[in-house]
Amino acid sequence: MSSSIGEKCTNIKQEYDSCFNSWYSEKFLKGDASPECDDLFFKYKDCLMKVLEEKKLDTLLADARKDNPFPNASSSSSAPS
Amino acid sequence: MVKFYQHTSSFEHAWDNVTYAFWLRYPNPFASHVVGCDVIDRQVDPETGVLRTTRVILKQGVLPRWGRGMIKNPDAYIIEESEVDPKTQTMVTRTKNLNHVRVMQVEETQTFTVHPENPKWTQVKTEARIISELRWGLTGRVESFGINKFMDNSAKARKGMAHILERLRQNAALGA
Repeated sequence: MSSSIGEKCTNIKQEYDSCFNSWYSEKFLKGDASPECDDLFFKYKDCLMKVLEEKKLDTLLADARKDNPFPNASSSSSAPS
Repeated sequence: MVKFYQHTSSFEHAWDNVTYAFWLRYPNPFASHVVGCDVIDRQVDPETGVLRTTRVILKQGVLPRWGRGMIKNPDAYIIEESEVDPKTQTMVTRTKNLNHVRVMQVEETQTFTVHPENPKWTQVKTEARIISELRWGLTGRVESFGINKFMDNSAKARKGMAHILERLRQNAALGA
């Protein structure tokens, strides 16, 4: 599994990745989209957001994401999987 | 100036496995320049059932000699947005670089679908656009460099995916 851009987030990121990988292959692809890794994702994102801010990537990302790459997609919901 | 690139290839692996390998593709021996990869956002659209993910990838850049004066920090950040629709068995990924955009912006779209001739295989359509806003007659050189580098990287990325897919196949054969 890949490392996080922020070294201190790598452990929680890999924990989240393991959860996601099982969910993706065993649930999502088989038609069950109910979320399973939210708690881990929130913990991971908490750590990551600070790193992105420190590296001044937060504004770069916000700008890049203004151009919606999937214009036909319906408005996004808040619950990650 | 803009340059376009288009390529269709296939993997002799099922669509499910190829999309799974996409998430696992770093690290691999063909992507030693990738030092980090993070999920920024991820959600399933409650209406369509499509999984939408935004990731950011950190690559340690390898610059040509003439580029070193233009770019102080050779690290490149890439944003990757993707959609997986398990119903139609379609995965679309879009990537572009976040920094160094004035020197060169590379936008890549990849579409993974079940191979039309063999349902156990996966077809991948790659489309890319390489743009440089540099003046002083450098744009042509930058874009030619960009397209060559892109084709190189594209070939490496395919090898990386194939490597991960082979590992998945071996694990499955072992019942792991």
